[in-house]
Amino acid sequence: MSDVELDPVIHAQARLRVVATLAALAPGDRIAFTRLQELLEMTPGNLSTHVRKLEDAEYVAVTKTHKGRTPVTYLALTTTGRLAFERYRRSLAELLGGTS
Amino acid sequence: MQHPGHDLDDAPPEPAAGLAIIASQQERVRTGATVDGRLLFLAWGAAWLIGYGGLWLATQGLDVYRPPIGAFVLFGVCISGAVVFTIVHALRRSAGVRGPSTTAGAMSGWAWCLGFVVQAAVIGGLVKAGASHEVVGIAANGMACLIVGLMYMAAGAFDHQPWLFWLGVWVLVVAGAASTVGIPLTYLVMAVAGGGGFLVGAGIEHLRLRASKAQVGGTAVPA
Repeated sequence: MSDVELDPVIHAQARLRVVATLAALAPGDRIAFTRLQELLEMTPGNLSTHVRKLEDAEYVAVTKTHKGRTPVTYLALTTTGRLAFERYRRSLAELLGGTS
Repeated sequence: MQHPGHDLDDAPPEPAAGLAIIASQQERVRTGATVDGRLLFLAWGAAWLIGYGGLWLATQGLDVYRPPIGAFVLFGVCISGAVVFTIVHALRRSAGVRGPSTTAGAMSGWAWCLGFVVQAAVIGGLVKAGASHEVVGIAANGMACLIVGLMYMAAGAFDHQPWLFWLGVWVLVVAGAASTVGIPLTYLVMAVAGGGGFLVGAGIEHLRLRASKAQVGGTAVPA
């Protein structure tokens, strides 16, 4: 049976990369925007665009803080985002395997 | 604002490509943002092998088993080098990440630090009380290994890493054996079984990572 629905928020290459990276961190951990950008090799503008879409879907939580006088933005996968990612991954496997 | 490749970024991946993307990002985080146990065990294995090996070699042919100062300097350089490498590696890998795992890492770092500060204080007390060179050597070594072994066992238990737990058990067994045989054999046991244990630990961690990578890769592109 291949009638599997894939979450449209995650089902785009760049957003899948963002979510997969955030999901690889320990639950509850957050990562600085610049560090995530480095791990993804994405431009700040491009990453911002995709993060906004994930934030709108409440998959990613954005926290703005300061390190000394420098503003730092931290990103984390929400519980909803983590569940959506796991569901998405299972759906992909299901599409490929036909079962499970 | 459109960026080059923006359309491609928004393109939905094929299922196999999607799983491959997930596997590759997980690997990227593992190699870029988490501590590599293999490197730490290699550093400590080399430090113990060379440091303790040097102390043992320096006692050969001596009537009184008291290694010359040069052997202790070499030992100090090896241990300090491994400590600095561990701290720099952990800080670099965890840069930009905040949350429960970095808090746990910092607390664990302070536990190691405090353990060794107290160990140094106890050894200072023994020296002041007139303990012999041999007593000081066995106590210093035994206490240091007790800290290392118990910290590994605790980390293995809480991080659900049985192999780390068993490495801790091995360090304690080695420390017990090294203390029993007495100086200078203590140094030989520490170099071969202790340093060797870390090197075997590096090998086990390498195999474990390779197996989990193959498992993820297998899911990504099934036959």
